[in-house]
Amino acid sequence: MPVFKTPFNGYAVKFSPFYENRLAVATSQNFGILGNGRVHVLDLTPAGPIAEFCAFETADGVYDCTWSEDNDNLLVTAVADGSVKLWDLALPPTANPIRSLHEHSREVHSVDWNPVRRDSFLTSSWDDTVKLWTVDRPASVRTFKEHAYCVYSSVWNPRHADVFASASGDCTVRIWDVREPASTMILPAHEFEILSCDWNKYDDCVIATASVDKSIKVWDVRSFRVPISVLQGHTYAVRRVKFSPHRDSLIASCSYDMTVCLWDYRVEDALVGRYDHHTEFAVGVDMSVLVEGLLATTGWDELVYVWQHGTDPRAP
Amino acid sequence: MGSESTTAPNLRDEKPQNPDSVKAMDVNGQVAEGDSTKEIPTKSVFVNSEPMREEQVQNAVKFLSHPKVRGSPVIYRRSFLEKKGLTKEEIDEAFRRVPDPPPTVTNVQATATSQDSQLKPSTNLQTQIQGQAPQPAAVPSGAASALATLPRTKFHWSHALLAIGFLAVSGAGSAIVFKNAVVPRLKSWIRKVVLEEEDESVKRNLSKPSLAEEAAAAAKAAAAAAADVARASQEMLNSKNEEKKYFETFMSVLDVQVAEMKSMSNAIRKLEAKGEQHSQSVSRNGPSNTSWSASHASQEDSRGFMEGFKQAKVNGTVDFDSGSGRPMSAPASMEPSVAPHPKSYMEIMAMVQRGEKPPGIKEINDLPPNPNQPPSNPRLAPRMKPWEVGQAQNSSSYTLQSQTSGENSSYKVEDNGSASQLNGYSSEPWWQRKNVRISEIEDENDQRIASYGIVPVANERPVQRTWVPPQPPPVSMPEAAAAIRQPKSIIQKEQPSNDQVMERSSDEVDELQRITKLSELGGEVDLNNSGKNLEISEIQEEQSGIEGN
Repeated sequence: MPVFKTPFNGYAVKFSPFYENRLAVATSQNFGILGNGRVHVLDLTPAGPIAEFCAFETADGVYDCTWSEDNDNLLVTAVADGSVKLWDLALPPTANPIRSLHEHSREVHSVDWNPVRRDSFLTSSWDDTVKLWTVDRPASVRTFKEHAYCVYSSVWNPRHADVFASASGDCTVRIWDVREPASTMILPAHEFEILSCDWNKYDDCVIATASVDKSIKVWDVRSFRVPISVLQGHTYAVRRVKFSPHRDSLIASCSYDMTVCLWDYRVEDALVGRYDHHTEFAVGVDMSVLVEGLLATTGWDELVYVWQHGTDPRAP
Repeated sequence: MGSESTTAPNLRDEKPQNPDSVKAMDVNGQVAEGDSTKEIPTKSVFVNSEPMREEQVQNAVKFLSHPKVRGSPVIYRRSFLEKKGLTKEEIDEAFRRVPDPPPTVTNVQATATSQDSQLKPSTNLQTQIQGQAPQPAAVPSGAASALATLPRTKFHWSHALLAIGFLAVSGAGSAIVFKNAVVPRLKSWIRKVVLEEEDESVKRNLSKPSLAEEAAAAAKAAAAAAADVARASQEMLNSKNEEKKYFETFMSVLDVQVAEMKSMSNAIRKLEAKGEQHSQSVSRNGPSNTSWSASHASQEDSRGFMEGFKQAKVNGTVDFDSGSGRPMSAPASMEPSVAPHPKSYMEIMAMVQRGEKPPGIKEINDLPPNPNQPPSNPRLAPRMKPWEVGQAQNSSSYTLQSQTSGENSSYKVEDNGSASQLNGYSSEPWWQRKNVRISEIEDENDQRIASYGIVPVANERPVQRTWVPPQPPPVSMPEAAAAIRQPKSIIQKEQPSNDQVMERSSDEVDELQRITKLSELGGEVDLNNSGKNLEISEIQEEQSGIEGN
């Protein structure tokens, strides 16, 4: 399994929804404290090694990236200086970025493209807000301001075009409907900051939340007082959680304990896989939509691993 | 979204037998509303339908009525109640019951409720536009109110601290006073009784035992009374403790804010003092770093760490050309142990807090050279997601799949071509599952087949392609073809649409064939410039060309 070494510390990986061998990696210099950023577009080659298709540099660290769902050339990055940048891979690097949307007053921590409508995306920021954007507009379409602390992640519902969830450091997850003026549900999911959330692709009412309290909780929004399942096993904060696009109860998570775990929340012994290939915080994880079982992770050890679930990521 | 209306007339010309899809494509708004009407019955799932819990509301009212709580910004009060598990309804009801909410935040709430009435009707876009207008107004007013209450809250925090201290002291003091007052009284009373007994014991020897008994009984009663008093004072203390606990959690939140404010003012002072100092030294100070990292590595309690985090994170808010620190805010938690950070992370944090800039940072201009640059046309149509395939197969109106599934072989070639772009690799790449069943591959290809046939967002592709060209693997060919191409077709190409993707691929190959025809026939081909008709006419021309040959 090939490895890619990035010059900066990794922050996020995302597989392309168009090309099964393509992924984007968001990286920041100096662990994202202070420095430049770079987003790499990598191609898996059949021969083995990972090749870099192109890379774009930013003045400040890149905390997250996402691919457009209706244009295979578009890549969006969340930058630590509060801006959101759009990159067009079909244009030369000198013509990039094609947009820099600067409205957030603090670091933009995550960006997510709408998989149903395919024309809009959300950004969440440490300025406690979530913003909705479309590519054709220079300004945000809407700002969602209700959280009392940093919003770490906002994720669209895979089946309902206007519903999304946001996870915040104020220890709540809010569910929003873009057509409604305010959030429609508040889940006080954890006692500590919630770093990530993701929807079940096959059950549109199930959501997983990952928190600093080292646990992942799986909730059904129809009865949200008690979680369906609590997944314990990480020894430090869980940084990111992702539901599999192919199996309805499979969850991938990465944590500051440097491991990447796979869980099946419907099973008694939920932990179904554990990978400890990273030597620093594992910060980004993604599961390919086009290739079942293909995982990619990155971490502060400046490495990007891509491997099939069940194989050893470090095997040559 | 605009693509549907532009291609609708073409489709109508060619395929009159699909009125459903044409109707669906007629008006964008209808499609959107169709979506939303479908959504409404299921949308309610994402809304809290619990009835209001009176107990929670009353607790919240008690909380909100407290004078200390009154002084804090509304957003923190709401956040506290939300964390306790109250629903929006309950929180709003509690706010309604507590008289006189602060005026600064009623603006935000008023705009929120006014949006409610505004946003019900019309299409999504319109609602979004309307929503945007009051939202920015709400945001600055909310920010202004937060700022306005800050100086006030400062006083209230110290007042609150004093008040809580007072409460504690008074509670303890009253208990002590009680004990001190009652117990001596009891003691003196007991002494009196005992003295009386002693006096009387001289007189009454017989009644000594009874006196002793009486004394014992009196002592017991006194003890019982004392116990009662102690219990009463304890209960008072307990109730005070309960109240204290309730507020302590609230105060801890406020404490965090105080700490942040303090560190922010410290940081500002620091930065002002060390403003221009940016040593480019690469050398990492050994001893100071080891001491720093050692102290932090051994530190289980995150208190000091958090201070450092918050300070450096707050630095990020200070607009500072030479750069300000910004750590991970995520791990700054109270109780769960903070993960040991890498050593170099500590070093960089230390440098930043000293005001030094870490080495290797370049000045990069990452602004867009042309902010109005239109994005390039997409080369591929969006694919269906694995979880959407199940949905699509269930819907009865799709007739494509049975047709397109017959095109397996040609599509397989396409897919492999797109997957391993310039390699021409026919065998499976390593990232495909090696131990997967063959049927799974078939399923995957079926998904892709369906995706090529189905355009997303409830749009049907009624055009039955009887012959579809394989995608040319080298991407550079269209450019070369375009150079030879006549100008008219270029205008066509620039229509941005999802459907255009498929047209492009067919156009490219059509162009190639036209070029070959040109070379063969030595003549110009008459172009028919309506989108899809191009393909049909090409086929016809090709057929005629073949026949001619």
